[in-house]
Amino acid sequence: MAQAIDTTYENAVARRRNLRKLWLAFLLFPAMAILLTFVFLPMASAVWYSVYDWDGLVRGEFVGLANFQEVLFDARNNKFLINAFFNNVKVFIALMIVQNGLALTLALLLAREPKGYRFYQIAFFLPVILSTVIIGFQWKLFLNPIFGLVNTLLRNVGLGDWAMPWLGLPETALGSMILVNAWHWVGFPTLVFLAAIHRIPKDLIEAARLDGASEWMIARDIIWPLMAPAVTIIVVLTFIGSFNWFEIPYIMGGLEGAPAYSTDMLGLLFYRTAFGSVSAGNSDFGTGSALAVLIFIFIFTFSTIATRYLTSREVELS
Amino acid sequence: MSTMNKKSGDLGTWLMHIFLGVNAVIMLYPIIMMALSSFKTNKEIFSSPFSLPQSFSLDNFAVIWNETNVPRYFINSTIVTGLSVLVLLVVGTMAAYALSRYKFKGNIMISLFFLSGLMLPLRLAIIPLFIQLKTLGLVDNLLGLICIYTAMSLPATVFIMTGFLRSLPSELEDSARMDGASEFRIMVEIMVPLITPAMVIAGIYNAVPIWNDFFFPLIFIQSPEWKTLAQGLTAFFGEYSINYGVLYAGLTLAALPIMLVFIVQSRRFIAGMTAGAIK
Amino acid sequence: MATIELRDVTKDFGGVQVIHGANLSIEDNEFVVFVGPSGCGKSTLLRLLSGLEELSSGEIHIDGERVDHLPPARRGLAMVFQSYALYPHMTVFQNMSYALKVAKKSKQEIEAKVHAAAEILQLTELLDRKPKALSGGQRQRVAIGRAIVRDPKVFLFDEPLSNLDAKLRVQMRIELTNLHQQLQSTMIYVTHDQVEAMTMADKIVVMRNGHIEQVGAPLELFNKPVNKFVAGFIGSPAMNFFQGKIISANEGAYEAQLDNGAQFKFKTKAGLLNAEDKIDLGVRPEDLQPNQDGSGKIVGKATAVERLGAQTYVYLSSPIKESMIIHHAGDLDVQSGEEIEVSFNLESCHLFGPDEQRIEFDG
Repeated sequence: MAQAIDTTYENAVARRRNLRKLWLAFLLFPAMAILLTFVFLPMASAVWYSVYDWDGLVRGEFVGLANFQEVLFDARNNKFLINAFFNNVKVFIALMIVQNGLALTLALLLAREPKGYRFYQIAFFLPVILSTVIIGFQWKLFLNPIFGLVNTLLRNVGLGDWAMPWLGLPETALGSMILVNAWHWVGFPTLVFLAAIHRIPKDLIEAARLDGASEWMIARDIIWPLMAPAVTIIVVLTFIGSFNWFEIPYIMGGLEGAPAYSTDMLGLLFYRTAFGSVSAGNSDFGTGSALAVLIFIFIFTFSTIATRYLTSREVELS
Repeated sequence: MSTMNKKSGDLGTWLMHIFLGVNAVIMLYPIIMMALSSFKTNKEIFSSPFSLPQSFSLDNFAVIWNETNVPRYFINSTIVTGLSVLVLLVVGTMAAYALSRYKFKGNIMISLFFLSGLMLPLRLAIIPLFIQLKTLGLVDNLLGLICIYTAMSLPATVFIMTGFLRSLPSELEDSARMDGASEFRIMVEIMVPLITPAMVIAGIYNAVPIWNDFFFPLIFIQSPEWKTLAQGLTAFFGEYSINYGVLYAGLTLAALPIMLVFIVQSRRFIAGMTAGAIK
Repeated sequence: MATIELRDVTKDFGGVQVIHGANLSIEDNEFVVFVGPSGCGKSTLLRLLSGLEELSSGEIHIDGERVDHLPPARRGLAMVFQSYALYPHMTVFQNMSYALKVAKKSKQEIEAKVHAAAEILQLTELLDRKPKALSGGQRQRVAIGRAIVRDPKVFLFDEPLSNLDAKLRVQMRIELTNLHQQLQSTMIYVTHDQVEAMTMADKIVVMRNGHIEQVGAPLELFNKPVNKFVAGFIGSPAMNFFQGKIISANEGAYEAQLDNGAQFKFKTKAGLLNAEDKIDLGVRPEDLQPNQDGSGKIVGKATAVERLGAQTYVYLSSPIKESMIIHHAGDLDVQSGEEIEVSFNLESCHLFGPDEQRIEFDG
């Protein structure tokens, strides 16, 4: 009898443990399966594909690093690659200054909770929620050289000389697109910065004020160092966003980076290489994959370095 | 920055309000112009671009409703966004629940697995993804988009939900266990109801970019009947390239639903959209 | 109606043993308090009993039946948590009835049981409220009510009063004791507060570092602590200890000297102690008094004096910088900085040997 009770006991414990394992598997399996199938598998395949020759959708023979060589050193591709890369660099620098600089200023002002604080928050954030497609087309209409609102406005206020085909000139096209992007996104860093400022204990700022610090000194010496984590995130997100930039130039300048490739980006070049276009010729999955792998390595390396560096200057708010 | 100086007193405050006000106008004016222009005829847009429309005629909207595929795109976007977010929240919350509420071997490894998914830009894997979906018969199919969006947004969702679920006291769970509730019941009846606000935040965080995306449809959808709103607008722009009133009406219509929800729920929207960037 | 027995119960978390072979019997209808400093394993022991943690080895029997393989709800226990753990999204009624709902009891039965419990705890008015709208004391009562409706064999309490303010705590202490009288069921109560243990328990279980140090009635622990730890833990203010050593041992007759100079003689079993053995003499603050004819005298300088009228506490520092405290019933006119002589009677002292175990005086 005593023996029988003991086995019941062992079985019951084992059953409970198995049930728990089953339950955990049930919770985790769907998410892991989806992520593996549609994110990890394609990411790994991209590397795999880049070392093969491709004929349309059919994989050809193993070619080693030939695709990489073609992307980097082939005279024709190479010209496009360098042009697009430096355009992306310009976008990153310009967005850091215009978009994030403005966002920081707005956040510092909003942090003082002026009258209309809620209204300003909503106004600045409103474009953020809209699709890039809407923003892109809307501004394309506004920037139309003849009847676009921008030029009409300039003519109406007596600045007719300034009216120009903004998106048609290589000198102004990229700048215009960057400003449109800044207009679209500025609310996002503004509110991230604002949230970071609000997390700084009010006592700290009050104490600095009692010590006789000016508002400018408070911003520079107290707020700026303590909002460092938010700055890190915004810098890294801006970096990734700039080098993945696709929608605005695609909609406003087209797949070939019009005018005269002055708005060409790595994203557009990748799309053309992979799926074919006038300049890039037929669709080529091999060189396309190689280009994707290179872009990924570049973004990953630099965002990791930037995160490391920026995190090291963060101060913990205990 | 000199506007920050409090010593300049009233002048500083004035400058601050002028600066904020001008910015608010710059942000809002284009959107208002877009909406106003959607009521104008082509002739009006050329002759008096800045004035109020002569009448709030719905002709342009009627053209969209009767002659274009925009309503269809709208439905497609709703289906894709709705189902993606639903699956995301269910599957993501389940995984987050396991990771945040149970100690087990491999917990840290699986957490890292999800975390590393945050750093993979799926756009760059578009070629293998295309071949993969083609094999599965999911190209030119809304289900394909749903799969992609769900997978792409899962890491962030798991990350956000884990944070919220961790903050729940474990005594609640113990208490329900003492009350005899099964693990499933504890999750569904006790814990999940307590994180509904977090689910709304995670939902918005995912829904807005999915609704707005046009990169993946651009590559995966070809048939007009399966196009999403953002993608469909590009086709629509080609078709009506000279009828500006209709173009503005299309943009307004596309922007309207999300803007209305935003204005009513701005607090949650802002919390939701910035959820990934604020620790 | 339940007896509980723990047999060689152990628990380890990731290789670290936190309960070392606990053995304990609890009688039916007993009010048992687990007490000890934080980290002593008292809460873990309670959680093992409840089934919220799995045993590493050993057995638990309730009413003679082995239960350690059963899930919590099938052990016939109810638990009141430190944070109350009320479900925030449910009303008081829903909170109290949840367990019955899970057990698929009929609507009438649920209604009847919840109302009966609410009656006992004066919660009837509050049944439709959410926990957020209740005061701390009310939440506490709901947590208890939630346990009562289940009609458990044993009630488990995990530091249930620690979130209440001092006044409410005293009141709830009395209410809980009355409830125990009324319900006539076994209760196990975990606390780090020895005053709660002394006032409420039929039986106290003192724990330290995963070991059960002593089990006994409150006054038994107070009068005969088995070791130095229990002696220091039970009683407030804590017992004074003076270090010293045996200077002569002769067939059960011993002579000892404290480091502060006081000497005393005592008898106990022969061979228990040897010359040069280190000893500790424990003297309760009530037993260390000025102006009395004691068997040992110590001079100390008052470092602080608390005169409360009906009683006086004097903190003293001996010539070798030992600190001690005396508790005098009534007023005592001592000024801080003053030197006074205090003495103790050996019969009321507690002697601990080199292994810190109690040594019983003979005769």
